[in-house]
Amino acid sequence: MSANLAAPGQSRQQILDRIRVATRPVAQNAPQLPDAYAALPRNYIRHGALPALARIALMIERLREYDADVVESSLGALPAAIATQLAASGKHTFVAPPGLPTEWLAAGFGWKIDNSLTTAEIERAEGVVTEAFCGVADSGTIVLHHGPAEGRRVLTLLPDWHLCILRASQVVETLPEYFDRCQQRPVLATTISGPSATADIEMTRIKGVHGPRFLHVILVRDEI
Amino acid sequence: MTQAAASHPILDPVFAPPFPQAALPVLRNPQLRKNVAHAIDVIQAKRAKLVAEKTDWQELRSSASAIRAHALENLGAYLEEFETRCTAAGGTVHWAADAPEARQIILDILRRENATDVIKIKTMTSAEIQLNPILEAAGVNVFETDLAEIILQLGEEEPSHIVVPALHINRSQVREIFSRRMGLKDLSDDPHALTAAARNYLRQKFLTIPTAISGANFLIAETGGVAVVESEGNGRMCLTLPRTMITLAGIEKVLPRFQDLEVMLQVLARSATGERMNPYNSLWTGVTPGDGPLNFHVVLLDNGRSSILSKPTERQTLKCIRCAACMNACPVYRQTGGHAYGSVYPGPIGAILTPQLTQMRHAQSLPFASSLCGACYEVCPVKINIPEVLLELRSQVVNQERKDLVRLFDPMYLGLRIANLLFARAWLFHTAQFLGRIGIRFFTRKDGWIHSLPSVGGKWTQTRDLRGFPKQTFHEWWASRPPAPGPALNKEAK
Repeated sequence: MSANLAAPGQSRQQILDRIRVATRPVAQNAPQLPDAYAALPRNYIRHGALPALARIALMIERLREYDADVVESSLGALPAAIATQLAASGKHTFVAPPGLPTEWLAAGFGWKIDNSLTTAEIERAEGVVTEAFCGVADSGTIVLHHGPAEGRRVLTLLPDWHLCILRASQVVETLPEYFDRCQQRPVLATTISGPSATADIEMTRIKGVHGPRFLHVILVRDEI
Repeated sequence: MTQAAASHPILDPVFAPPFPQAALPVLRNPQLRKNVAHAIDVIQAKRAKLVAEKTDWQELRSSASAIRAHALENLGAYLEEFETRCTAAGGTVHWAADAPEARQIILDILRRENATDVIKIKTMTSAEIQLNPILEAAGVNVFETDLAEIILQLGEEEPSHIVVPALHINRSQVREIFSRRMGLKDLSDDPHALTAAARNYLRQKFLTIPTAISGANFLIAETGGVAVVESEGNGRMCLTLPRTMITLAGIEKVLPRFQDLEVMLQVLARSATGERMNPYNSLWTGVTPGDGPLNFHVVLLDNGRSSILSKPTERQTLKCIRCAACMNACPVYRQTGGHAYGSVYPGPIGAILTPQLTQMRHAQSLPFASSLCGACYEVCPVKINIPEVLLELRSQVVNQERKDLVRLFDPMYLGLRIANLLFARAWLFHTAQFLGRIGIRFFTRKDGWIHSLPSVGGKWTQTRDLRGFPKQTFHEWWASRPPAPGPALNKEAK
């Protein structure tokens, strides 16, 4: 490779200059740029029209279409519901983020709390339990912002079994409604729509490639 | 074309044969055509169903189109904003004017890390700059992690689609490749077993290789964040586990605000794979202590993009969000598959993007690889008017060719100049027609069809037959018809 390389910074200036020249007839001046952006058409559906119960029903239906397992629970019965799910999983060792309420860590299972667990320790766990930031009913999507109860990104990635606790008050109908809840822009975000999957071989959808193969959701009726 | 080149096409527009010639091996390979048609039919059906359920689909398209156009018109400002935010969040931004510079930047980073291995998320941009061969030559082992990319890498195949790059390979071919390269004798051709084989093959690599390379679906100017859209979780592995992460992104990938994803993610998943949402989207911003890589580099690649920006008609090419809906809808792609386009970007978007990325110096047959039916424009989630750009590029190719002195003797251009002369004078036209009709008889077979013509006429007959000429011309028939139907018509009118 004998490429005639520019000094660092030289290409930056060169590319930006080329862009400036190319876009001169159409680019907005800096002061007008926010107004030009604000004037872009946004006539798509922003807010859903479903009543609360139907919104939750849609979320559950869409999650199940992705082969996620969904059960409902009241807030009071939640620790018992979690214990039932853990027992039914047939798994024994679990990891949890540090912000998960301790009463959710059912007795009788091996728990490791992620206060800087090593990758190897997380890899050895059979399952993980977390909360979520938001649920989007329209597409059956769970959004994690990786806060203290949602865990680091790796925590919900390596274990093969993920139990996610989602509150009804966190479920919105449309994707734009999720963005409305992000007054603070997330530094990290992961959206999960069903277990990991591929359709690369003859377009046959295969569940479970590298991410968790099993996604379980407990929908907590905290507001309805 | 040699046999080797036919079975292993080189997706480099500089060396690729013209489209009609490159398409021939595929058209003569029924297995390949069956694989492509099956995959396309499945995606098309899923997409149609999920687009139909979206009552605001056209409004989403309009917004997606407007956001992308606005981002391109103000690309300089948004790129600088991205650079500032990403740098403030702990990332390092590099600028590469062309492919060699991008490869050198990536190699330099890998050298500083003493990297002997890298894991990669599927990125067509890295295929565009032919990164893998350069890394291998420099002694770095490259491990593709997307299932389709593993199939291609282990099978020494080339991508034929930008979303499902191995769609031309069927399950028994995948079984053969995996069993040979992974040493799995008893592997079945069940996609579940093949997918499990890929999972096992990669698991230790994810956990141990400290350097990763990705592409980007979107760069967010407002936050300096980068978004990657995927299905398998291999992307999340590469984005989370390594110590050092390098993202290669075309300069056109920038979106003004975080909120713009509310439009892009809705149209992208439905258009690309026919899902309401793909299994995983990852968004990260620079370096987050305690979560993910400690070093994060973004390489912003120009490589011909800024030259596309200056032309109002062609600029829309860069709105593309790489969903591949256009190739799935294209009747030409359906017949030829992706390799005939001689570029990592096949299909209608490739037909307009590839020649422009080479500054119209190569791939000049691609703008003609279309019937201009407009199906690509109809499905495009960001409303790129591909037929309009195709026509513009066709005229540029023709204008270029006309300036070429060799064309004075090119049979097609010579023929067109002669036609220009003949069509302007009725007596010359009739004489030429008379002589031509005699001449064409020598090529008309007994079945009344012309199967093969010499010279420029062969361009037609190499892919389709031509019906032999009727005994009479229209003029002859008109002159010999029974007289005076006029009054009869008048009578009827009364």
